[in-house]
Amino acid sequence: MGYVAVKGGTLAIEESIKRLKFERVKQGRTIEVEKIHAGMRGLIDQVMSESSIYDEPLAALAIKQAEGNPEEAVFLLRAYRSTVPRKHYSRVIESSDMRVERRISASFKDIPGGQILGATTDYTHRLLDFQLMMETDESVQEWLHEYLNEDAQVDEQASQLTLPNVLDYLRKEGLIPPCENNDQVPDDVTRESLEFPSTRSQRLQILTRGQTGAVTSLAYAVIRGYGALHPTVGELRVGKLPVTIDHPTSEGNDEDAYYIGEVQVTEAEMLMPISVEKEYGKKEMEFEIGYGLCFGQNETKAIAMGILDNCLEHPNNEFPSHNEEFVLYHIDSVESTGFISHLKMPHYVTFQSKLDSVRKTKKEERQEVNS
Amino acid sequence: MKRRRRTEILINGSQMLAETLAKTITEHYDVRVIQEPENGLVMMKVRETSKKNLFYPGEVLVTECKVQINGAIGIGIVTGDQPDLACNLAVIDAAYEANFPETKEWSQLLEQEEQNIMKAKAAENQSILKTKVNFETMDVS
Repeated sequence: MGYVAVKGGTLAIEESIKRLKFERVKQGRTIEVEKIHAGMRGLIDQVMSESSIYDEPLAALAIKQAEGNPEEAVFLLRAYRSTVPRKHYSRVIESSDMRVERRISASFKDIPGGQILGATTDYTHRLLDFQLMMETDESVQEWLHEYLNEDAQVDEQASQLTLPNVLDYLRKEGLIPPCENNDQVPDDVTRESLEFPSTRSQRLQILTRGQTGAVTSLAYAVIRGYGALHPTVGELRVGKLPVTIDHPTSEGNDEDAYYIGEVQVTEAEMLMPISVEKEYGKKEMEFEIGYGLCFGQNETKAIAMGILDNCLEHPNNEFPSHNEEFVLYHIDSVESTGFISHLKMPHYVTFQSKLDSVRKTKKEERQEVNS
Repeated sequence: MKRRRRTEILINGSQMLAETLAKTITEHYDVRVIQEPENGLVMMKVRETSKKNLFYPGEVLVTECKVQINGAIGIGIVTGDQPDLACNLAVIDAAYEANFPETKEWSQLLEQEEQNIMKAKAAENQSILKTKVNFETMDVS
């Protein structure tokens, strides 16, 4: 059976697109992009992270166009990203340069610099706040004015809030093995297709742009028993990383670099205790590390990424969560939602072919019964 | 003042400062725009702390502009869609590249703005540090 070219449906599609707009605006009101930007921080961060492009106003626009549907917003931003030229690569960004806004450890009570809760829902009652139904721009401006003027005196010594990483502290203490910087140029999955076995830089890049729900679910499966890890959060930090690029003619000179702005990220260092056999069969406890970092404040995703990073460092055929092909090929939002949703596109020819086979089989069965 | 420090001040400080400094150049010199402000991407290169390898977590949207003044090329680049700021940064960069006398007078203004930025950051950090946990060990008897 050959392919059959069909046409038609243009008018229906045009009317469908109008209908889509109608659904977005049918209440006769529109939501301004600025308002999405102002009030949808969590969704904006998730969309930027899964799109792997950092720009809050663009993410807000995508969310508006997608009517708040993250998978569609990510699709829109990824498509936009592919139209914009990549002009530069940043200089190496070290997370110890992060301007910290939140930093906690579930492993060590007394970490250098202390536990800084910052902005978190961790300690809120999950009760609907019906007062927000009445919230106005004026009321939030009044609250802001009061909050920002709580302190009459500003301690100017507090202008730097950068903290050492807990891992560096543990390395100095000799509790985890020392580690030298590796400056090998990373692989880039947006330029070269993934091949297995993958490199660490490819794995981290795919994990950080993975769909938040997918990354979280797979990491949850690991802890529930579909994996061989028992992780603890060594350090979780949220803050802003400065981004700089080299001057075209004086590469490598830090003072001559261009500062271009800051990017908010969440970073998770996960500690996994393991038992290591030493000389004469003596067993010792050591720590392995899983690393997670993603755009915006996406704490669950960063922690989950850290868990999966460590899983993929230790392939294990017993568990799909330790299989890089299983994890890396199925967590991308555009790839997974794109493939699943393509199933609703016309498959008339392939389905008719299957129907023909069923009819033929039934006919043959009837002939066999009658003969 | 070195480029790293001055671009940080000009981007994090009041945009009026970049506009004022650039104006002193555009009013007295012939500025040739090599590249109008246009959007592009900068791929971030981050060192992870587990094995200290490098990886790419994603790209950041930027606006970039290039100008030429008296043969000196200036580049202005900033995150987000900020064409005016990118243009002003490019003019200021070219002024420093050409070593114009005006740039000598800018140091004081930039240092003053740096102080304002530090003060604003200190106030923000002071607020953040109020969320620092003060653990108290409980008596167990």
